[in-house]
Amino acid sequence: MYELLIGGIANIVHLKYLVPLAVSTLAGLIGGALPGVTITMTIIIVLPFTFGLDPLQGLAAMTGVYVGGSAGGAITAALIGIPGTPSAITTTFDGFPMTNKGQPGRAVWLGLWSSFFGGLLAGVFLIGATGELAAIALEFGPWEYFSLFIFALSMVAGLTEASLLKGLLSGAIGLLITIVGSDPVMNTPRFTMGSDLLREGFQFLPVLIGIFAFAQLMTDIEKMGPTEDVIAPVKTPPLTVSHLKVIWEILSKPFLLIWSTLVGILIGVLPAIGGSAATVMAYDQAKKFSRHPERFGKGNPEGIIASESSCNANVGGSLVTILAFGIPGDAVTAVMLGAMTIHGIQSGPLFITQEPKLAYGIFAAYLVAHPLMILIMLLSARVFLRVVTVPKSMLIPIVLVFCMIGAFALNNIVWDVWVLLIFGFIGYALVKARFPLAPLILGLILGDQIEVNLVRALMTDNDPWLFFTRPISGVLLLLSIASVVFALWQHRRSQKRALAQTDEPDVDF
Amino acid sequence: MLGRDGIAGLICLGLSIAMLFMTRELPHSALVPIGPDFYPRIVLGVTALLSAILVAADLVTTLRARRAAAAESPPAAPAAKKNYRLVVLTFVLFTLYVAALPVFGYRIATFLFVAAQQSLLERPASLRRWIVVLITAVATSLVTYVVFDQYLQVLLPRGSWTGF
Repeated sequence: MYELLIGGIANIVHLKYLVPLAVSTLAGLIGGALPGVTITMTIIIVLPFTFGLDPLQGLAAMTGVYVGGSAGGAITAALIGIPGTPSAITTTFDGFPMTNKGQPGRAVWLGLWSSFFGGLLAGVFLIGATGELAAIALEFGPWEYFSLFIFALSMVAGLTEASLLKGLLSGAIGLLITIVGSDPVMNTPRFTMGSDLLREGFQFLPVLIGIFAFAQLMTDIEKMGPTEDVIAPVKTPPLTVSHLKVIWEILSKPFLLIWSTLVGILIGVLPAIGGSAATVMAYDQAKKFSRHPERFGKGNPEGIIASESSCNANVGGSLVTILAFGIPGDAVTAVMLGAMTIHGIQSGPLFITQEPKLAYGIFAAYLVAHPLMILIMLLSARVFLRVVTVPKSMLIPIVLVFCMIGAFALNNIVWDVWVLLIFGFIGYALVKARFPLAPLILGLILGDQIEVNLVRALMTDNDPWLFFTRPISGVLLLLSIASVVFALWQHRRSQKRALAQTDEPDVDF
Repeated sequence: MLGRDGIAGLICLGLSIAMLFMTRELPHSALVPIGPDFYPRIVLGVTALLSAILVAADLVTTLRARRAAAAESPPAAPAAKKNYRLVVLTFVLFTLYVAALPVFGYRIATFLFVAAQQSLLERPASLRRWIVVLITAVATSLVTYVVFDQYLQVLLPRGSWTGF
């Protein structure tokens, strides 16, 4: 394992891989820092660039965006009190007050170094656990896979902040999109209306980009106009700080760092929950365990450490799920999954044994992206804030063009751009109807696999009880039921709060 | 009267029932015991069921809210005004952009789209602003064309009218 990892690192530091990794880490930092541009949006913009690269270059670039984006949110959160990404919301609680106290450098670098340490600690878990979990997953038959996917869907539907019913229906809509096109057994066209364009079904990436990009951009656009909150040009405050002091400040709180990292990893491993939940939970835990909870929200370094270490640890956790099981941990890994498919790579438990060089290349890219992120910020911190105050009126059209290219470049046909537009409209309509998007995306990703495994299981043995009587499958299905029952209980408890909710759900997945 | 959930539920219900009817036309093979309609029927059945529950739940909530409103009507909090006009116009512009791609080609269509979309989101109030809009539109069109078409081998659409 270590030989492969060292080989992977030696490979990734070659200019061929290092340049896309560094550029994408920078893109991630900028995208993460730009308020209103999520990591998902940044990865959608970077996606078309990876089509012309070799698989490791492309996946390294995406890993760079992911790592950079997760850390970048802290910059604007700490300096101007606006989270660059939804997951950086908790960094504003203490980062901005610290800046107001005249310590902007300490606030930003506490965030970045915490991201660095949290991310690297999660890297240990990523490298150690992926192979082990993939080995377990290799023992799975179609019954277990089917039950695992159902468990993932039910858990995501249950964990969404909107109603459980809408979460489940959103997942069902995702599955519904995948039944259009030829069936996997006899290749019979289904719901194609006689059109050859629909024979292969809806391509995953245009649908994903459409749903996410339009849901996000249109939600931003509807807030624009005469009352638009324009970020005033920010004078770059001096970010000079003693890095050794900041590093010591973080490492002198090992329990906080490790606990927050573990929270981040756990939320990352659970499919499709996203970084926001990780940082909120880690911040909440840090406050509960702290000897001075009253200091939180007033520029307490513990708040920044908890938030940012969990945010980047979440990245490591998400990568474990996609590499071991082929289930994306969040929207970013969902796009990565799409990119892997384009390069002809089958993700899942066989990936690490069949493509060890690529798998360890991704691990290496993940590890190298962290010091790169620190290095880039050391070199560009002063010009950074000027870049992130680009007006939305300029940014949105450019992002839309990248969305178009991302959809078009898949097959070089305009039909895929129409699919992007259609699903863009559907995504926006679903957000307006307050449907959570995470279950829909997971349903969309897992739909084909659920069908294949269900049919395969029933064609091997037509006894449906096997889904319950095979131990792992049975436990997974029981857990699915338990997660729905738990969600029902939890939603009933918070029903009053939910009724009072008027805003649309967060589109960050 | 149905609320937002009820309308969304009705649309999903209608769509799933219509697709359920369409599964009847799917051919079966004597060789394969599980036909192409097997899985879609499960998915559509679940979708229809969940949609029906959503419609029913919305009806109950609306009725309860109406009763509560009749008993006591507290003043509703003013919601933040949203600019749906811009959203609709952005969808229209993007639709025109997609339609223009095979006609005018990527470079011209992208230039027109970026310039129009920027002007829509923030009306240029000065000559300097117009210049910024035009430079952004030209740069986006040309830089992306060079990077993707020339360097990354993504063959971007050529215009049937312009050949460009």
